Amino acid sequence: MTQSASSFLVPLVRPPMAPEARRWAGRMVVLAASVLLVAIAAAQALEASGTLALGLGTWRLSLYAYLVWAVALGVGQVMMRGEAGYKALFLLPALLFTVALVIFPTIFGLYIAFSEWNLSSFEGQKFNGLDNLRTLINDAYFWNALRNMTFYVLSVFVQYALAFGLALLLNADIRARKFFRVAFLLPFMLSPVAVSWMIGKSLMEFRFGPLAALMRHLGWDNPAFFATPWIARFSIIALDAWVWIPFMIIMLLAGLQAIPKDIQEAAKVDGASSWSTFWQITFPLMLPVSVTTIILRIIFQLKLADIVINTTSGGPGGATDTISSFIFREYRDRSNVGYGTMVAEVYLVLIIVFMTLLLNAVGRFMRREAAL
Amino acid sequence: MSGLGMDHSYQVSKQPWNWTRMSGRVLIYSALLIWAFICLFPIFWTVSTSFKTAVNVTQGDIIPFIGRFQGDWKGWRALGLSPDTIFQISTVRDEFLLRFANSLIVSIGAPVLAVLIGAPAAYGLSRFQYKFGPWKNKDISFFFLSQLLLPPVVLAMPFLVLYKELALLDSVIGLILIYTLMVLPIVIWIMRDQFDTIPIELEQAAMVDGCGVWGAFIRIVLPIALPGMVAAFILAVILCWNEYFFAALLTSTSAKTLPVMVASQTGSQGISWWTMAALATGAIAPLVVIGVFLERYIVKGLTAGAVK
Amino acid sequence: MKTEQYNSIFGIKTDRRNLLKGAAGVAALSATTGLGGFSSSALADSKSLRAEILKIPGVGKGSPTDADWQKVGEMCLEATKASVKPGEFKGVELSFMGLNNQNLHNMLFRGFLKPWEAYTGAKINWIDLAQADYNARLQQSIATKTVDFDILEMGAPFEGDVCGKGLASVMPDWVKKQIDIEDYSDYLKPPVGTWDGKQYRVTIDGDCHNFNYRTDYFSDADLAKAWKAEGHQGEWAVPKTWQKVNEVTKFLKGKKIKGQDAIGYLDPAKGWGGFGFYFLEDRATAYVKHPDNKAWLFDPENMKPLVNNPGWVRAIQDVIDSLPSEPADQLNADPGTTAFQQFLAGTGSMLSWWGDVGQMANTSDTSVIGNDVGFDILPGSDEVYNYKTSKWEKLASGPNYSPNCAYLGWGVYVMARVDADPKKQKAAWSAAAHLGGKDLSLWTVMYPSGFQVHRNSHADIAEWTGAGYNKDYITSYLKSQFGSYNHPNRAIEPRIPGIFQYYSVAEDELAKVFAGKMTAQQGADSIAAAWEKLTDQVGRENQLKLYRASLGM
Repeated sequence: MTQSASSFLVPLVRPPMAPEARRWAGRMVVLAASVLLVAIAAAQALEASGTLALGLGTWRLSLYAYLVWAVALGVGQVMMRGEAGYKALFLLPALLFTVALVIFPTIFGLYIAFSEWNLSSFEGQKFNGLDNLRTLINDAYFWNALRNMTFYVLSVFVQYALAFGLALLLNADIRARKFFRVAFLLPFMLSPVAVSWMIGKSLMEFRFGPLAALMRHLGWDNPAFFATPWIARFSIIALDAWVWIPFMIIMLLAGLQAIPKDIQEAAKVDGASSWSTFWQITFPLMLPVSVTTIILRIIFQLKLADIVINTTSGGPGGATDTISSFIFREYRDRSNVGYGTMVAEVYLVLIIVFMTLLLNAVGRFMRREAAL
Repeated sequence: MSGLGMDHSYQVSKQPWNWTRMSGRVLIYSALLIWAFICLFPIFWTVSTSFKTAVNVTQGDIIPFIGRFQGDWKGWRALGLSPDTIFQISTVRDEFLLRFANSLIVSIGAPVLAVLIGAPAAYGLSRFQYKFGPWKNKDISFFFLSQLLLPPVVLAMPFLVLYKELALLDSVIGLILIYTLMVLPIVIWIMRDQFDTIPIELEQAAMVDGCGVWGAFIRIVLPIALPGMVAAFILAVILCWNEYFFAALLTSTSAKTLPVMVASQTGSQGISWWTMAALATGAIAPLVVIGVFLERYIVKGLTAGAVK
Repeated sequence: MKTEQYNSIFGIKTDRRNLLKGAAGVAALSATTGLGGFSSSALADSKSLRAEILKIPGVGKGSPTDADWQKVGEMCLEATKASVKPGEFKGVELSFMGLNNQNLHNMLFRGFLKPWEAYTGAKINWIDLAQADYNARLQQSIATKTVDFDILEMGAPFEGDVCGKGLASVMPDWVKKQIDIEDYSDYLKPPVGTWDGKQYRVTIDGDCHNFNYRTDYFSDADLAKAWKAEGHQGEWAVPKTWQKVNEVTKFLKGKKIKGQDAIGYLDPAKGWGGFGFYFLEDRATAYVKHPDNKAWLFDPENMKPLVNNPGWVRAIQDVIDSLPSEPADQLNADPGTTAFQQFLAGTGSMLSWWGDVGQMANTSDTSVIGNDVGFDILPGSDEVYNYKTSKWEKLASGPNYSPNCAYLGWGVYVMARVDADPKKQKAAWSAAAHLGGKDLSLWTVMYPSGFQVHRNSHADIAEWTGAGYNKDYITSYLKSQFGSYNHPNRAIEPRIPGIFQYYSVAEDELAKVFAGKMTAQQGADSIAAAWEKLTDQVGRENQLKLYRASLGM
């Protein structure tokens, strides 16, 4: 996560600047490609608006022009900036790819968010300013779902503890290691639809589910896993955790395996108990990988929807509703595209703020650890 | 800092046999077995349900070949995959196979593309200092990560319009592109951690020998990080394989994939438990094969990158 | 697959094959008389054809397979042969969008249309949707102008969104003749299937909710004794009113039947993508659909919701009162659970549902209750609320019944995009007509297909018993279906645009009510408020006009 500047790769010998002629040629390549891209895009825009009939068809042509431009940009970078250009080449493909795919959806999405657009309306889309935002502030479903989300997100830390424990077990000197590792990974492979139905609605079914039978055996008379708010919430979390703990185990196990053995052995020689070895050596060393694991896991947790939609539809009485499943109902079941998008955009802003705060806090914490 | 040694498995310590150690072993193995059971039982339940009849389902029969539960090909027959239907013409099987093939192409294609462009990006973010206006490396990493944050459902209209205009609807390429976008952040974040732990001295030595940055990356760093790349690749494959939303939205006749067919087993006519189970079993099978063959890479791969 | 292969694989005796040859010969002869050549001689053979297709694979022989569908499709091809020359549509490609519902619907259509494709030379590409995606996919395709299908399987409630926007092709007259459109049950005739007076829909399904009950419960001597002993009014019998349904449900709580816990009515308390609201309607229509008034969901003068009037609130209160006597997991039970995981699996004694339950109780492998099921139209109410006078009224004719004709079934529609090409247009309509054929429809309503009776010609008990149905069972079943369809006070689905948005938002509020977070009245008021907002959003004037049209006003 945090990175000291010293770890950056700086060439030992500073390469000479590219010759002036080459830099000029590079600029020309980029310029030519840019002109081509702008020209084609403009022509297609004119055609789309109906001013010109050029027979260009779909915007595919512009897509190709963008590809050509992207290649030219890369070539141009190298020609103009030499070594620095080569370095830019590492990042450019991923960046250009992402930007190309998300730029239109982002802009169009924002536009949708500030409009009233019910797909069943004969009038179509119309701009309505901040109305959606006002509706959102007074929407009890949104706030209810947001409250549930804090609870779901908090559960990630419990899942992390469990995953850490299991990763420690897998890291120990055990037999049949391959079997256990593959078995522990299996739940992640089952598709969410299958998880909701084969487990949520079959294994945990009130009448014939083996888990319900087991619970009756253990003395719970009415093992209805989704009928009362708190039990339903825990059941959803259990289902979801079952799927995602393998993801965390694998990442944490990898971290454990990378801890240099000599450090731990040294601790043993010093006579430290395994408990204190863990807290004083293993856990601090595992902090960075733990942070990445938790961050990725929280992101997926924040988008929790499938399992909720399939098993409880957010019930009973909204107790298991998530923001994603609420948006799902607004956007799809009710074709209320404008409002649904606004909810998502607001949620996005909330997540970004939350993530930034979290990352900063973690960064500060780890710097302090390092300083100690 | 030892990211290079691959084998960190603990050697059996030569401690004398004693009770503490014994009870510790028992505890470890019982915990392992309990969790393995928790992982495996639902999978077993799914597989066995594909051989059930209605009575077996409604009575919750668990153990096959005992009493009522004698096994039935019903679930597989509905897919044209049971022994008695496998050689007959079956439109359902054709549908299943087409979707299976598409799923394979898409969920191999997208992760390959994501690794191809993600690995260099991760390396760049790990090794060089970029600056795009006010944006530095940290912000660029977060920009990639932020592509994961928006609930996909609200991207429906924008992507429908975009894909229509680009004539990418119902095409395997279109699906691969959007899946690449989906898994790219994961690949970049996992691999960036990887590269962070590889000692910088290696590349510097290579550059003294006359390698360019790309030369050092491809010849020196990539082979070391290859297992990590495989790990990111596998997580991406699983996520793509199970992706439902965009598959349901952007495909119609030629690029359709498996998850929609699994979901189709429920609707206003109830649930075909056995067929859904059979489909889920069929859908998990290739992933299990991948898991078994590549398990060692998953772990060793992330090994190099995890802790500094 | 050709019939010969089918026969050789399944070892079917050749006499049926010969009989078929005869039938085909006569039909071919009549075909020479020209388009729509259904002469009286062909009709006689149609009778034997109908008997023949019903033997595939035979009721009680398990669910039909792909080979069966293809065979039925081939045998019912005569009407197509009369209007289309072999290979006439060579080179035509059509896209068909519909559901894959447990490998029925589109999978079934594939089988039926395979012989049609072989004969006409056309090729069909299939777009299969899961039911949960259907509504969103359709709406989003329309809004983004990405309609990429030529033929569409669609429910009547969406007609406003598709036909109202001019996206569908008007049915040619020869199709009406080929599918014998006059044979449709009355409630499926215009205005259903039409828009602005033009016919769009080939009906392949009929829908209403009927009342399913367990005959073994209501003939149980111990329960009858206990009923008397507890001093209930009247004999121990199948309830005819909702008041009785609730009384029986509360009575059964804690009782045993055949050693198992006895349970009464099953309310789905959880939403189902909008479909769950139909089940509140089931209880409500008896309270709010007054025989003198056509409207029951909205006020046809100003589109004000009626959903918070005392009749509706009483229906909601009924559910609240009943839930404690129902199974412990009822709060998480959607209609799929009540029908398939509870009723058909042997839990509960009373259920309202579409005809699927009755069809499946006897023929499908999902059912374990077999013949212990009886059918009726939905229960009534001793008094009915008249929204015009704001008073509860007792009718002179006795309890008020109002069967809920929910959803109005699936149909096949051809999209307007084929109209530009006459060959393609004819091909699309020919395919739709084949799927909506009169004989074919008889097969689909008798076997697990997801489609219910929808033609007057489906009422012939002899054909059902000939196919292997138990006479008492099928008589009771058909009476409940046709009794609902033809009921003078039936409540018809309002086919206004976005109707499922109304249902979906109501489900959300009802979930809160059933979870005890609001009273019935508060819940009903929030539903009404949300509906008002929705109506404004979609366009009040337009909605009002279309709502009145759907009521035939």
